[in-house]
Amino acid sequence: MAFEPRIVGFLCNWCSYTGADLAGTSRIKYPFNVRIIRVMCSARIDPTFVLKALSEGADGVLVCGCHPGDCHYVEGNYKAMRRYALLKKMLRSLGIEDDRVRLEWVSASEGVRFAEIVADMTEKIRKLGPNRIKAELIHDRAER
Amino acid sequence: MKECKIGVYVCNCGTNIAKVVNVEEVAAALGKIDGVAVARSYKYMCSNPGQEMIIQDIQKLGLDRVVVAACSPRMHEPTFRKALENGGINPYFLEMANIREQCSWVHDDPIEATEKARVLTSAAIKRVQYHEALEKRSVPMCPATLVLGGGIAGLAAALELADAGQQVYLVERENRLGGNVGRVDLTAPYLDSARDLLTEFITRINQHAKIAVMLESRLAELTGYVGNFQARVEDPQGEIKELPVGSVVVCTGYKEFDASRIKSLAYGWLPNVITSFELEGMIRKGKILTKEGKVPQYVSLIHCVGSRSQEYHPYCSRVCCMTALKYAHEIKSAIPNSYVSDLYIDMHAFGKGCEDFYRKSFEVKTMFLMYEKNHPPRIREAGPDDDCGMFIWVKEQLSGEEIEIPADLVVLMVGMEPREDSGDVAHLVNISRDKHGWFIESHPKLDPVATTTDGVFIAGACSSPKDIPDTVAQARAAAARILAKIAKGEIWADAVYAEVDEDLCSGCRMCNELCPYAAVEYDKVKKRSHVIYAMCKACGACVAACPSGAIKARHFTDRQIFAQIEGVLPWHSNHVS
Repeated sequence: MAFEPRIVGFLCNWCSYTGADLAGTSRIKYPFNVRIIRVMCSARIDPTFVLKALSEGADGVLVCGCHPGDCHYVEGNYKAMRRYALLKKMLRSLGIEDDRVRLEWVSASEGVRFAEIVADMTEKIRKLGPNRIKAELIHDRAER
Repeated sequence: MKECKIGVYVCNCGTNIAKVVNVEEVAAALGKIDGVAVARSYKYMCSNPGQEMIIQDIQKLGLDRVVVAACSPRMHEPTFRKALENGGINPYFLEMANIREQCSWVHDDPIEATEKARVLTSAAIKRVQYHEALEKRSVPMCPATLVLGGGIAGLAAALELADAGQQVYLVERENRLGGNVGRVDLTAPYLDSARDLLTEFITRINQHAKIAVMLESRLAELTGYVGNFQARVEDPQGEIKELPVGSVVVCTGYKEFDASRIKSLAYGWLPNVITSFELEGMIRKGKILTKEGKVPQYVSLIHCVGSRSQEYHPYCSRVCCMTALKYAHEIKSAIPNSYVSDLYIDMHAFGKGCEDFYRKSFEVKTMFLMYEKNHPPRIREAGPDDDCGMFIWVKEQLSGEEIEIPADLVVLMVGMEPREDSGDVAHLVNISRDKHGWFIESHPKLDPVATTTDGVFIAGACSSPKDIPDTVAQARAAAARILAKIAKGEIWADAVYAEVDEDLCSGCRMCNELCPYAAVEYDKVKKRSHVIYAMCKACGACVAACPSGAIKARHFTDRQIFAQIEGVLPWHSNHVS
């Protein structure tokens, strides 16, 4: 069977989740590969959520929040951005490719943009192949 | 963990979900999961029979958790929470899976969509087992209100509240009430006197037993939360007054655009180029004259000064078109043999009575010249032999010609912009501003006077350029919202907020700094932080930052989200290569 990436999307309630809903109400099609988890704010996204998703076998993780200056919680997205920068450093040292974990700003009116991001990310991860951590974990589980 | 009894309901949404997702197959597959007592699919879960099905199952089967796979939780989460409550269990024992907006409406392939719907719903089943019973909590509501700004918005809001018998503190920076409306003569389109509009309001306010007017005063600090704010207001002597208030209405208005920023209009350099507010001053004094003291023969009105321009402000200031037409009437009646020209981009006459007013301006023989946004008019001084003081170059759109027209007095219709202190005010009352600096409403259409901070309302031109009718309507709307809260007497704080486990808290205070609402407070005696739940908006920034893992985001706990992550990534999914 051809490789189909599994992407977990952590979306803030006020902008990005609403934007993803708008993609739905506007009937904009995008790859089925993304599975969305709603959080109140991108600042709630603990780096361990991303690590947990990767270790559970996600081939990619998408973090979405309100555009800078537009955060429902004034500046939660800036906190997310700073945390993300540190997380990225760590992920690079683990050999996790940049295209697998992305932070994107999606407003409540950007259904099209959300669909484009998912399509682009799916395509890039298809080329990268499966998450290496997943393969190792499957191997470990088989050993046990 | 105690075994849960979960009811799973897969909505068809007519054909909205069912035409792509095989709902029967999803329900059948989920029914086999441990803990699922019943799994059904139904045509419309949000309908009365749909809700009744949940209620009956809770009561007959003893369900203690419910998962509804349907539309976005942003749509019907309150509906189904209510159903759980009616069934006799805590409403927070519900989890929804979004299989319409984020599945059936965005995917075409029935096999992929069905699999995704199954996975999303099974993740909800995993998550819901970790849900906790949450109770909303009530806090008292202080009936007094702080009104910031004594312009027409502040006056209208204050009177509406005080006439209902509630205490109002009206704080104004300047030494007089009336704001920008107090600087104009007549108002468009009915030509009522602005002074008459204000006098009625101000007289009543000054005599009102329930309104304390505080002139030359400013808000120094606002602490607390909805229903229970503490305002510190500084009076002209520099003394601080402590005022307990339950609500705040921000009516801080606007300031006019600084026309000297546009060099081609020669404002500040040619003395007979004036702003609309300067003309209002002349009209109020009863004399329209040039700086040389002569009656002007040629008067030009230039629209959109600072507005609808990529360089300055891209938005329309909404009141200037009608104000310019008003000037044409006023100038013509003061100087009947004058020539009035009106240089505009588009004529915006959208308000009640405004189109009629525009038509009437043709009767007073105003010469309308349409200029193009990217080619604004240019003003130059005339020579000694000319019978006018200046010339205005304009690329006229309707004729397509470049012409020069004579002018003795040029009036620049300056647009509105946020006040310089709007950032300070936003910070003081904890509301947001848009990219221009205007305050942001909770929802631009459905909740235009509320903000993202509960108990803080905005009215009038502080949120965007507005005319007087819209401003007064907003002020009265904000007052009505506050009166509704006062009538209830208490505030129900959402059960979703952050909570500190004081046993785990190390007292590092990182969360204190991170909270945008100052909802995390440090107890100096206990050396621990705690959350004031009524102030918490549940963003979870502190939860993710706490190095001790001492803060819990109620209803968005780590455990709940981890369960959902595990749920959306099943190991035996057919996509594991």
